[in-house]
Amino acid sequence: MRVMVIVKATRNSEAGKMPSAQAFADMGMFNEELVKAGIMLAGDGLKPSSKGKRLRFSSGKKTVIDGPFTETKELVAGFWIWQVKSIDEALEWARRCPDPMPGEDSELEIRPFYEMEDFGPELTAEVRAKEAELRAYLEAQAKSKK
Amino acid sequence: MRVMVIVKASKTSETGKLPPKELLAEMGKFNEELIKAGILLDGDGLKPSSKGKRGTVIDGPFTETKELVAGYWIWQVKSLDEAVEWVRRSPDPMPGEESEIEIRPFYEPEDFGAEYAPDFKAYEERLEKGRAELKAFRAEAEKLNAKK
Repeated sequence: MRVMVIVKATRNSEAGKMPSAQAFADMGMFNEELVKAGIMLAGDGLKPSSKGKRLRFSSGKKTVIDGPFTETKELVAGFWIWQVKSIDEALEWARRCPDPMPGEDSELEIRPFYEMEDFGPELTAEVRAKEAELRAYLEAQAKSKK
Repeated sequence: MRVMVIVKASKTSETGKLPPKELLAEMGKFNEELIKAGILLDGDGLKPSSKGKRGTVIDGPFTETKELVAGYWIWQVKSLDEAVEWVRRSPDPMPGEESEIEIRPFYEPEDFGAEYAPDFKAYEERLEKGRAELKAFRAEAEKLNAKK
């Protein structure tokens, strides 16, 4: 199964404060372990919400809202995508992660992906075929960039 | 620049109710447009938070529905405004409910000061080496499996 591991924001991450060189090195080693174990599919960090925007969809209306957004602890600061056998395996790896926000309380959230087999008849054969085609295209695109 | 476009959860997405087939078809078309425009790098949907866990082992569901992530895209765009324009063209991801899509730029290597530069290079090289080793290992494993 694939999971998204979400690093929740903190006051420091929202202030755009960079981690120390040591924290960077620790995270780098952890990422290396993930890669070697065949767990890591992707991972990245997001700039503070002050650099972001939101679009609200409400009864057909779309409104743009500029960041920063105030609910700091619920914002996303970064994420990984992992290939694991179970959510418990993901949890074990999360336990080994260096503290992502040293000196502050923080949380990692592990969320499984919807996979094709989770969908029933609402995903018509036509849409399924299209989806497979799009994913194949994306994969080929990613390979050609490497 | 790369941005993460986050589809925020709604009451319905948190119940695990799958979107109607019309919406799936519309989203498929929108994704196709994004691909043709060279914007789409990745995208997927997450199961409700009841299937998730948090760090110090707190089992889902998590209660702050509107702040949870239901899905995301990763886009390659020229500017934040270009991303906003694309989001405006997105089908309403949660028909019949209020919902939000959040656009957040990624940190790129150039955002980090010179003091990180050598580390980054070495780190990327090590990661690349790790990936190559993994690939070789998998190829070997496949060969062994084929022999069986």
